[in-house]
Amino acid sequence: MSLWVDKYRPTSLGKLDYHQEQASQLKNLVQCGDFPHLLVYGPSGAGKKTRIMCLLRELYGAGVEKLRIEHQTIVAPSKKKIEINTIASNYHLEVNPSDAGYQDRVVIQELIKTMAQSQQIQASTQREFKVVLLTEVDRLTKDAQHALRRTMEKYMATCRLVLCSTSTSKVIGPIRSRCLAVRVPLPSTEEVCNVLTSVCKKEGLLLPPELAKRISDKSGRNLRKALLMCEACRVQQYPFSADQDVTEPDWEVFLRETANYIVSQQTPQRLLEVRGRLYELLTHCIPADIIMKGLVRELLNNCDGHLKPEVAHMAAYYEHRLQLGNKAIYHLEAFTAKFMAVYKKFMEDGLDGMMF
Amino acid sequence: MLSFLTNCSVDQSFIDLTGQNLFDCREKRGQILGSQIEPMRPRKRKGEICSSDLGHRKQDEPWVDRYTPCSKVDLAVHKKKVEEVENWLKVHTDGSQGGLLLLTGPSGCGKTATIQVLSLELGLRIQEWTNPPKLDSYTNSQQVSFDIFMSVKSKFHLTSQSAQFQEFLLRANKYNCLKMVGDARSFFPMSIQVFDKYTVFSCLGCAHSCCAVSSRCFVKTSRFPLVFIVSNSPSADSSSRFLFPRELMEELHISNISFNPVAPTTMMKVLTRILTNEDGKSNGRVIVPDQTVLEMVCSGSSGDIRSAINNLQFASQKEALRGNHPLKSKVMAVSRSTLRKKSKPKNGQEGQPPVGMKDTCLFLFRALGKILHCKKAECAFALQLPSHLSQHHRESLQVDPEWVIEHSYVSGEFFNLYLHQNYLDFFSEMEDVEKASEYMSDADLLTSDWMSSNTMREYASSVATRGLLHSNSQQIAVGFRPLHKPNWLLVSKKHRENCLAAQFLFRHFCMTPVSLQTELLPYLAKFTNPFKNQAEITFIQDVGHLPLKRFSLRYSSYSIPFIACLRCTR
Repeated sequence: MSLWVDKYRPTSLGKLDYHQEQASQLKNLVQCGDFPHLLVYGPSGAGKKTRIMCLLRELYGAGVEKLRIEHQTIVAPSKKKIEINTIASNYHLEVNPSDAGYQDRVVIQELIKTMAQSQQIQASTQREFKVVLLTEVDRLTKDAQHALRRTMEKYMATCRLVLCSTSTSKVIGPIRSRCLAVRVPLPSTEEVCNVLTSVCKKEGLLLPPELAKRISDKSGRNLRKALLMCEACRVQQYPFSADQDVTEPDWEVFLRETANYIVSQQTPQRLLEVRGRLYELLTHCIPADIIMKGLVRELLNNCDGHLKPEVAHMAAYYEHRLQLGNKAIYHLEAFTAKFMAVYKKFMEDGLDGMMF
Repeated sequence: MLSFLTNCSVDQSFIDLTGQNLFDCREKRGQILGSQIEPMRPRKRKGEICSSDLGHRKQDEPWVDRYTPCSKVDLAVHKKKVEEVENWLKVHTDGSQGGLLLLTGPSGCGKTATIQVLSLELGLRIQEWTNPPKLDSYTNSQQVSFDIFMSVKSKFHLTSQSAQFQEFLLRANKYNCLKMVGDARSFFPMSIQVFDKYTVFSCLGCAHSCCAVSSRCFVKTSRFPLVFIVSNSPSADSSSRFLFPRELMEELHISNISFNPVAPTTMMKVLTRILTNEDGKSNGRVIVPDQTVLEMVCSGSSGDIRSAINNLQFASQKEALRGNHPLKSKVMAVSRSTLRKKSKPKNGQEGQPPVGMKDTCLFLFRALGKILHCKKAECAFALQLPSHLSQHHRESLQVDPEWVIEHSYVSGEFFNLYLHQNYLDFFSEMEDVEKASEYMSDADLLTSDWMSSNTMREYASSVATRGLLHSNSQQIAVGFRPLHKPNWLLVSKKHRENCLAAQFLFRHFCMTPVSLQTELLPYLAKFTNPFKNQAEITFIQDVGHLPLKRFSLRYSSYSIPFIACLRCTR
């Protein structure tokens, strides 16, 4: 039994649920059999990957859906072995180079080179190029991005690159200018609701429109998350009721509780407890920057309007340090301590103001 | 070149040290070593003078060599320890099965001497492996240098060295087997491996693999006990663990006996014995230092009897050369000059160090306490700050933070982690914590760039310690607080492992790591649909769920009062 997200993923450009105009443009793009390098960007859960796979299917036919997961070992010039997982069909190769950490440059160069050097067997009936799909391009190091830029030019004859990222701000200019940028925006609330309803109908379930609306709000229009939420609701209770709880991931609830702890008391002991909770989140695979973001969001909900600009500023300051530094806990804790101090001062001032 | 090296070292390793000609052999070996300009002296020899033919020895022979122990009574090792080793030897020389023994302990605590004395008494023959002398030319600078150039060089030698070691083991085995046929029981041979210098290479990782391989094949084939002697320094006590990881220890049934530093009273006894002996023999050439000097030598050596004896000789000899200076002032002068060489003055430390004393190491928790308890001097000459800066005024410090870090024998980064783990217990004001945590964050930022981190490391730890000391404005007497190990290392390791495991187990979903970890996994935990794979199920159970609505006590170090009553205060 597969997840609804995978089960009802549209497989051709014609079947896409939303952004139909863009879909037809993409169809036109590959109509002539060739296309430039693509940079597909947009927020997570908007359907970037889905569109890319549809595009590949349009190009190569059903063959691209026969995927094999491979474990490749690449030897860097420094004799260090880099292991990386790739997903490949006969026509394309998908890889997330940032899995290799700071060695991503080697991955890009070696993988694309081997890909580009192997010719298609039946060039007459097939396309004369293969496609390399790179995910999380915005997490690539600068080194790797520059290597990518050279590689793009060098192997233009035998391979096309499709880059997938959440934003273009971390992608260097030369790459952006070499690609056709395709933005995939989030679906609107109605579109999410429509998708949810149609999926539920295919499952033979009846989804109340109110619940669909609430799920779509809760998910922040992230379609993947919305579908997962919907499925979780199904597990929780069926038949659906309009006012049923929408299941949230544990870590978000945990983070909200943590924010409440921070707001309710500001002492060094409380900070120690908060540190324990941050550690707990980290061991549960939540990346530090996501923790930071979630914490800020919850804290902003909890604090007074006067404080908000300052808190946001603090958050930006420590988020920056978090990206630069080695050990995330220092910066997360420094942010928490700072917030506690500011909040405490604010509350004490407020108390004084009330008395006099 | 290489073949020559092999030959000479193997020959040297194959000198039989039987009981009768032990000393002759040592002399012979000394000559061999001397001819190769070998800076490493034979290992510790201490205790009473034991044979009369030493009378003609030259006067300037080191006392360490002259007073080698030759009976159990002379050993400066605890009786129980000696007994333990003796029992092991008896058991393992009895049957046909050989065994492996690992002796660990700080240098100069009598490991080798114990083995030698015991083998003498039990009538065992020792075959000793020492590292090839050529190797030392790169490493004898005392400081272990880890830079790349060094390691490349030593790797070169390491390969030849490991080969030599294996050959040694092989030949020792065969050779002894041949002898065994006709000989009596008293000729049980024994191999001793001395790893004094070898530990240098343990960091390269291949040393221990080669060691593992060779000991494995030794265990399979050998009928004789093999003793490894590894001296570990207080700073890096993991060297023996590097060479002999626990799995290997269990696999090969290696027994481990660890030695403690020589106790001060025992050392005192030995030193006095040597002095009286020398005094009686030397006809006034050696001036007997008085009790205080002896005590200083004794305490300065921190349990290293070899260096203690050397120091004692140095003190007396110098005196003999110089003539009529009072010894004590001489000692002081030397110590003061060594002090001046160190850039850091020892403020507030216990007394002046005696001649050539070892660097005392601060126990890590004591070092932490010095920073965290933040002892301020009562009222030194205080620098007056202008009034608008008066909130930054602090009493002058009792300890120098850099000195503390330097003497704590851990890296600055690690020290910072310890500080970070524990500093909150020592703060009472939120404002202070805010500043302190910002300093910690600064410190991490300083070392973030890998290009400059080598130079910046010291600054980072300095920023962290001084920042902590400065920001703690409301000094409270906290009394005793338990200190904890940093959780971060464990947490980050677990984070990494879990992320890798998640990506590996759920790779068929073809998702990016972030969305996999923050979106898919938490929901997978909510679903009831069965996974086929047991590993996936346990992983989801483990990682997908968070303990909600209650505090996890796993990471916070103490139990927490109920939250609800705290929350209603606001």
